[in-house]
Amino acid sequence: MASVNPSIRTCLRCVKQTANANASLSVSGARFLSTTAPVSQEAAAQTQENPFEKWGPLDPALVDNKRDERRLIRKEGVMPIGSRRRRAALRTSAQIPFEQLPYQAFQEARKILLEDRQEKIKQIETQKLRLANLLKQDPAVSGGEEAKEVRVKSMQDHIRELIILADINDPIVKKKFEDGEGDMEKPIYRYLADKKWRQYKKLILDQRIEQFHIVPDLLPSLDPVADVDLAFGRRKINPGEFVDSCISESMPRLKVQVFDKGEKLVTVVVVDADVPVPEKDSFTTRCQFIASNIPISPTQTFIPLNRLDPKPKGSEEAAPKHIALPWLAPWAHKGAPYRRLAVFVLEQNGANALDIAALEKTKREHFNLRGFIHKQKLKPIGVTLFRTQWDENMAGVMQRAGLADQVKIEFKQKKIDPLPYKRRTERMR
Amino acid sequence: MPSTTSLRAFQPVFRPLHISSFRPQNTFLRTPQPFLRKPTASSIAAFTSPFSSTARLLRRKKGGKGGSDSRIVAIRYHLNHPLTPRPLRFSRSRFLRHWTIHRAWMLFLRKRRWAEERELERQYMSMRDACETLRLLDESGNKVSEAEAGGQGVEIGKLGPRGKEVGRLYRAAMNKTGVWDSVPIEYARVQVDFPSRDGWNHEWTRA
Repeated sequence: MASVNPSIRTCLRCVKQTANANASLSVSGARFLSTTAPVSQEAAAQTQENPFEKWGPLDPALVDNKRDERRLIRKEGVMPIGSRRRRAALRTSAQIPFEQLPYQAFQEARKILLEDRQEKIKQIETQKLRLANLLKQDPAVSGGEEAKEVRVKSMQDHIRELIILADINDPIVKKKFEDGEGDMEKPIYRYLADKKWRQYKKLILDQRIEQFHIVPDLLPSLDPVADVDLAFGRRKINPGEFVDSCISESMPRLKVQVFDKGEKLVTVVVVDADVPVPEKDSFTTRCQFIASNIPISPTQTFIPLNRLDPKPKGSEEAAPKHIALPWLAPWAHKGAPYRRLAVFVLEQNGANALDIAALEKTKREHFNLRGFIHKQKLKPIGVTLFRTQWDENMAGVMQRAGLADQVKIEFKQKKIDPLPYKRRTERMR
Repeated sequence: MPSTTSLRAFQPVFRPLHISSFRPQNTFLRTPQPFLRKPTASSIAAFTSPFSSTARLLRRKKGGKGGSDSRIVAIRYHLNHPLTPRPLRFSRSRFLRHWTIHRAWMLFLRKRRWAEERELERQYMSMRDACETLRLLDESGNKVSEAEAGGQGVEIGKLGPRGKEVGRLYRAAMNKTGVWDSVPIEYARVQVDFPSRDGWNHEWTRA
């Protein structure tokens, strides 16, 4: 999910750390290709003296003069990290943790924030006590069953809000979230991720849903609450993008980030919304794929559709655990308009597993998503879509999908004769 | 026009080369140039000014002061200074510190505002309670019941069953009749020179 992707900074740090790891490796024997000394020289160096004793250990993150750098590269085979300016700055600066940096305003600000946090924690404890008392209370005292429920719900909301407020001002939390190191089990990181998603990706997704008429063509209404990223192999697909037919021939992988607590089972349905019906001069829908009972949680986001049901080597007949309708490569006829393929992530009711054997009987053609959702008691939580159209690989894809007879079909615009008074000759007369 | 200290940045630091090219060449040749070992004719032609051409050095050499003409500085200021201030660009750590301080400041302001509002609320409630007490007060200083008291708000003139003896002070305070009897009414507003008592004097001319 891009919302909690590590920033470039973290990536750089990762690279640096691996470089460090390499350094330790190289000291223990393995060396980089470019800096390997000939074996004879190596042996000579070992017989003469240990080079490290002469100038002590060199830290690749801190060497800041030319001679030490050269020593590090030549003798230890380690490239120094970062620029010399950065290394010098790191070397001369005291390595103080961020919270203890000696800036007066900063420390005073931290004091205020910590005080506020303690207050919030105390408030949370009080609210929890109050909630426990309310739950114990007789409904007749609290004004009836409904009123009590409303009060309990509002108190729980308030506690949730306080939990967010207790951590929202922590600079370390902000830093960790920006670095993509946030623990999505914790409410504050889920809150921040949700906010970030709603600020940009959700807006685009909403626009795509509207402009491609997913609502109301497939569903009467749709309010996505989970971030769904679609990718074919390593290629990420933005909502509504055209996908080359040879890329979409294999199953995609999904990354579904939910922002609320707990594990849930989801069903993934891929629907083609524009299957032409030339006889009736209209369009219908087709189900490309159904997979059910996939567990997801805030930390378990990855759904590799192609690895959902790994086929055991020996027995080909093992019953599929997740996939009810296998992936049908999306295709479009030549000359026909593009196809919208919507990927729905549907939450199953109360973590009840669906019967895969029953789902396998679902008809692909004229698939009715509304009916399916109603029948299986599902709730749409996430959606994304891509488009496909005729391209140079489509013929091959269709042949491999067993649609060789369809390859030659070409759709053409029906030519409508202009009305008599609009005819050029009529007007000229 | 800002103060002169902030205008220091607009005073000329680098003098363009063509200005010093008016100087005759022989003076240049007389000064010793340690970094130019062989002053060939071509190099002299290229270096018609000394290596370092900062305004300060040139001024020191000339012995006179120059370059700090306030008119020139003013022109430079109005030509060069940007309309928008430079954007804040911070390192990661510094930005996080900045953000921390900003959040703490916002929190502080919010708490202070909240406290101020509570204080105002407390004062208002206190005044309201005092007025209510006055309304329910009879002549002997006893509290009467709501049924015996007079009206309040828009019905301030309405008397209760016990007549004028209940809530006299309350009515006096709310009606505000006779409040300014012993004090000139002008004191009800701040006394200022304008507008004049006689209106505008159109006939007035300068002596």
